[in-house]
Parts: sequence; structure tokens; C-alpha cells
Amino acid sequence: MPDLWQEAMDHAVVLARKSGEIVREALQNEMKVMCKSSSVDLVTKTDQKVEQLIIASVKDKFPTHSFIGEESVAAGQPCILSDNPTWIVDPVDGTTNFVHGYPFIAISIGFAADKQLEFGVVYSCLEDKMYTARKGKGAFCNGQPLQVSDQTDINQSIIATEFGSNRDPEVVDKIFSSMRKVLCLPIHGMRGAGTAATNMCLVAAGSAEAYYEIGIHCWDIAAGAVIVSEAGGVLMDVGGGPLDMMSRRVVAANNKTIAQRLIKEIEAYPATRDDAPIDSKE
Amino acid sequence: MAEWTECMNFGITIARQASKVILEAFRAKKDVMLKSSPADLVTETDQRVEKMLISRIRERYPTHKFIGEESVAAGEKLELTDSPTWIIDPIDGTVNFVHRFPFVAISIAFAVNKQTEFGIVYSCVEDKMYRAQRGGGAFVNDVPLHTSGQEDITKSLVVTEIGAERDCLALCTMTTNIMNLLAIPIQGIRAVGTAAVDMVLVATGGADAYYHIGMHCWDIAASALIVTEAGGVVLDTDGSEFDMMSRKVIAASSMPVAKRIAQVVRAFPCTRDDEDPARVNNGGHCISSGL
Repeated sequence: MPDLWQEAMDHAVVLARKSGEIVREALQNEMKVMCKSSSVDLVTKTDQKVEQLIIASVKDKFPTHSFIGEESVAAGQPCILSDNPTWIVDPVDGTTNFVHGYPFIAISIGFAADKQLEFGVVYSCLEDKMYTARKGKGAFCNGQPLQVSDQTDINQSIIATEFGSNRDPEVVDKIFSSMRKVLCLPIHGMRGAGTAATNMCLVAAGSAEAYYEIGIHCWDIAAGAVIVSEAGGVLMDVGGGPLDMMSRRVVAANNKTIAQRLIKEIEAYPATRDDAPIDSKE
Repeated sequence: MAEWTECMNFGITIARQASKVILEAFRAKKDVMLKSSPADLVTETDQRVEKMLISRIRERYPTHKFIGEESVAAGEKLELTDSPTWIIDPIDGTVNFVHRFPFVAISIAFAVNKQTEFGIVYSCVEDKMYRAQRGGGAFVNDVPLHTSGQEDITKSLVVTEIGAERDCLALCTMTTNIMNLLAIPIQGIRAVGTAAVDMVLVATGGADAYYHIGMHCWDIAASALIVTEAGGVVLDTDGSEFDMMSRKVIAASSMPVAKRIAQVVRAFPCTRDDEDPARVNNGGHCISSGL
């Protein structure tokens, strides 16, 4: 039986690679930096250029498909996932890294149909690592199969997380409180690449046991979720239930044992859902 | 100084030889031993690589001295004299090595008259050979390196680590430091899990500063020279002159950024590397956990 979405996935890989070239080229030149919600939530012309390239190409090849893209949503497009085949895209995940030339910058392309994630492509363009996963067919990095770590002891784990861009003192308090509790389990160490997509791929590759964060968006994690799942890992909400892609919360782990132990230490705080009505958003 | 160029080239050669041992072991299961804390790990590969590096250097330069992480852990005296001295971390990022987290570095520094003459940091999974010779600039895979030159702390990306200490004072100090830096605000905090690689990222311009408390001289001796030769500055966390044995460092793109970080960051008490070796934490119990 032919795979309905294989052609779309192949196209996503081509687009990711092309976008990676644009990013690498832009790093050689000066970038215009603009601010979004705060002085630490950055966007550049390259983010917008890459997203426009992807939208135009997808519209051309798959005119009936829908689109959720970070910069389109920032420009006022709604962020609602329907049953329609939908591309969920972060054109430059790790924009702060991009502005600095810090070596983790990823193009993240997820794809859902009937609200189910079908494939994910994450291209870490400075490392030239193309991560791909098609539901039911495994996860790969540059063609090599990925497998999560088999560690079940939280005391032997590396956990990835980020401080995010929310500088509200109450939020910062919760972030640090969670972090101290996780460190005191104890664990082997914490890491932060500066991009959700890359952090998730590190879990899929077995290099870290888990990644958690509150405040990310659906476009940051849609592709990574498929990659982690197809590498044998699990996706959950920080409250312990199943992952809700629009909730702004994620736990991606090698297995349920590690995920559930980690979740006990995470102090959640409110974040406006991605699919909330536009006038209720920050 | 031209006379140490030959030593540096020899250092690069043996770093590459050592990387073959590390990369072969990288994918394999490892027996892990604990040193000073449940997050301070050592493996048989750390020990084997250090022995290999020292024996090859000794063969070529029989009068030279050594300060090596695993030798010190085994009870060797840690003393920097005027003699030509190789300061070695065979695997910086042992936790990463154990987890196959892809940042693992061999760090080799060389000092004469207590001054660092060259530094080599080989990030071997990435195949990036960072090097600098005093007065000769800094390079990665022979491409020149320059720090970002950033002078505005609010536009800075800072790399740091929580470290291997798990006692409350150390952990609270480290997390409070990060919290206070984020509040300035700075643009972000990053961590790759090895002091040597964290610091050379400042030399590349990809990050604007690195600071840490609790690491050892072998973790930073090489990368400190690489940062300064790339145009950056290296200080103590209290803003005073950098002291390799103090277990504290700020490496930054510029003096204003370094000084601003020094205003915010607090250190927890650390015994100097060159104090009485009986107190320097040694490896002991072997807790096997094949990973």
C-alpha cells in the first residue's frame, strides 16, 4: 500500500536542506535583529525568509495542505490544528543561537493529518545532521538509525532543558525551583543546546535521557516528537498525561520510568495555549 | 616562542592518536566509577588515555613534568614549577563520554616558567582541533578564531555549567548565579558539558562569555590561552587576575562583559588545586554501571 505522506516527507527533507543553506549563508552576513515579546525573544529576517520559502513551496506542490508556522502566527495567522494535512514549521529554531553564531540551529518541519503527527524532519544545519522520522518506520540521523538510551535509573541521567524567554520573576522562580529539585535527585548533569528541536533529537539519539520545558510552542516540538517516539522514546505532558502539542509544555524521555520520575520534580506554571483565541494571547 | 612550536605539533599528533582510543570506546558500554560526587565520573578510558599521553611525551621529552587529572586523582602531587610542564585532561566531559553526548575533548596545555606557552583542545567527536600558541593567535582546524568583541552584557550569550558538586551550598550558589545573570538580562545561558569546549566557544565568537567555579586547572589551562589569543579576556570570578589553580574563571569577549559578570557571580569555597594533595578529592569506590 503506497505511503500517502512519503512524497510530502521527501519534500520536507529537500526544503529543510535548502533552508539550512540560507541559514549558513546568512551567518556570513550581518543579520537584522528584531524583538518579539521581549528583549530576549528574537526574530530575524532569515526566520521570515525561510518560512516564506517553505510556505510558497508547500502551497505550490500541495495546494490543499494547511500551514502552522512560527512567523505566520506571529504575524496574526491563527494557530489551529484541523484534520486537514498540516505542516507545522519552525523556520529557525534557536534564533538566539543564530544571532550569535552558537552552533545549534535547526529547521523543524512536522506534519500532521487528522490531528495525528505523521512525520518529522529536523535539520541541524551547522552540524549538517538531518534527523527524520516517519510514523511506524523508525527514526534516523543522516541515514543512521536512532535509538533512545536504555537507562532506567534517574540518578544516571542527563536531562536537557532551557531557561526560555519569559523573565517574569514568578516564572523564573518556578524554573529554578524545578531545576534544583531535578539536580538534587541527583542526576549526572543538565544540558541546554538552546533549541527545543535539537534537545529532542539528543534524546532520540540516546545522548540525553530526557528533555523538558514549559513555554515552547507546537512548531518547536512537532517534528521532534515523531523523532523521539520513533526512536523508542515517550512524549508526555509535565502533569503526567499524554503530550498536548498546543499546551506549551513537553516532556520527551527515553522511557516512562525516567519520564515519570522527572515529572515529580517539575513545578508547572501557566502558559497561554497555542490554540487560544488571538486576543487572549500575550 | 618558536622553540615550543615543535612541542605543540607533537601535542597535536598525540591528541589525534588519543582520540582514536576515545572514539572507539565512545559507542561501547562503559564501567563508571565515582570520584568526588555522584556526578563526578571517571572511566578506564580516562585513565588509559592519560597514561598513553604521558608515556609518549616522556619518551620524547624525558625532562618535562606533568599535571594530569587522573595522575592527581591517583595521588600524584599537583605542583606547577618553572619546569616545562604538560597540563592534561585526557577526557574533558567524562559524563558526556559515558552518555555518548557528542562533546568530549582532550585538553593539553604546556607551561614554562609558570606561563602557558600553548594550548590544544581537541573536540574529537566533532573533529575540531582548537589550538593557540602564545603570541601566535588561535585557530580551529587551522582557521583563525576571534571572539565576538561584544561589550554589552544585555546582548550576551553566556555558557556555563552547574558542575559536579551536588551539595546544597554549591548547587544553590551555581543556580543563583545563573538566575542573577538572566535578570540583567542577558540573552541566554547554554551548556555543552565540558569546560574546555564551553570556553573555546567563546574563542569562536559563538558565545560571549563562559564562567565556572569548581573546575580544575587541567580543564581550562589550554582553553584560557585559546580565548586570549582569539582576542578575549580571562579573569578570576571576583574580577581579579586569572589564576589557573584557583578553580574559578571568567572567559569573555571583552573586559566590560567579564567585569559585569564578575559583579554578579559569587563563588562557593573551593580548595585550590595547588594546596595539600591529601585534601584534593580522589577517586575511590568503584560503582559499576554499564552504560
